[in-house]
Amino acid sequence: MELNNEMTAQQSLALISETMNNCRKAILRNNAKGFFLWGILLTIFSLGIYLLWHTTGRAGWNLIWFAMPLIGYPLAALLYKKNDSIPQSEVGRMLGQIWAVFAVFSLTLSVLAAFALPMNITLIIVILMGIAECISGVVLKNWPIIVCGAILGIGGAVAASLLKSEAQLLLFTLGGLLLAVTGLIVKSQYR
Amino acid sequence: MFPRLDPLLHSELRLAVMSILAGVESSDFTFLKKQTGATAGNLSVQIDKLATAGYIAVEKGFKGKMPCTTCRITPQGLEAFDNYVNALKEYLSAGQA
Repeated sequence: MELNNEMTAQQSLALISETMNNCRKAILRNNAKGFFLWGILLTIFSLGIYLLWHTTGRAGWNLIWFAMPLIGYPLAALLYKKNDSIPQSEVGRMLGQIWAVFAVFSLTLSVLAAFALPMNITLIIVILMGIAECISGVVLKNWPIIVCGAILGIGGAVAASLLKSEAQLLLFTLGGLLLAVTGLIVKSQYR
Repeated sequence: MFPRLDPLLHSELRLAVMSILAGVESSDFTFLKKQTGATAGNLSVQIDKLATAGYIAVEKGFKGKMPCTTCRITPQGLEAFDNYVNALKEYLSAGQA
């Protein structure tokens, strides 16, 4: 793009629209990485802990969950560092805040459930995750993501009430896969 | 009587830079260069013109050990951009009438 002062009004508006659209796409494509990373991590952790719990019969393996943010956040930082020239947008900031709130609630309640106040933590986290996913879909104006969130939140809550002990972990596997799929949807939508 | 188009914005590259900055909080030089496809030298000159007019604020710093130029649109720049877009719309609606 070089200097051109001879644009018509139509060309100018088309340029503005195209530039803004391309910029928005680049920013949102970058957000897809977060969904994909956390989705894959959640799938691996939930499957791993499920297998350990299932084979040994010990629920103590659930403490491994606390390692997920320790691995996830440095990986996320590394992932975003590669593209650190991508600017922050209002949508990207909102998505980050939605999932940060989810992480704070989940972590706090998990600690409470593990050490102080026994509760059906799977049920609670699956509902929180469904809500966060749904709101992300609303922010991105993307129906498939909204539907994925509703399936995860409502369907997951029903399943978490019916399933017992380690089988509940498979709901997180489903949640992880849905997150990864969300990442793929966002990436393909803003290609 | 049509409003006069801001000559500073009525240039392809400067308009593209302003369009990007209008939608983000701030952007570094690398992103602007990639999005506009402009050469570093030309982009630099146009950024200076926009900064001199007070339409954008430029901050020079470092990311690690690498120099980094960050640009953000100013309230004055946003107003000028809005006025420019409104003027374009008036031109177009008059053309269709």
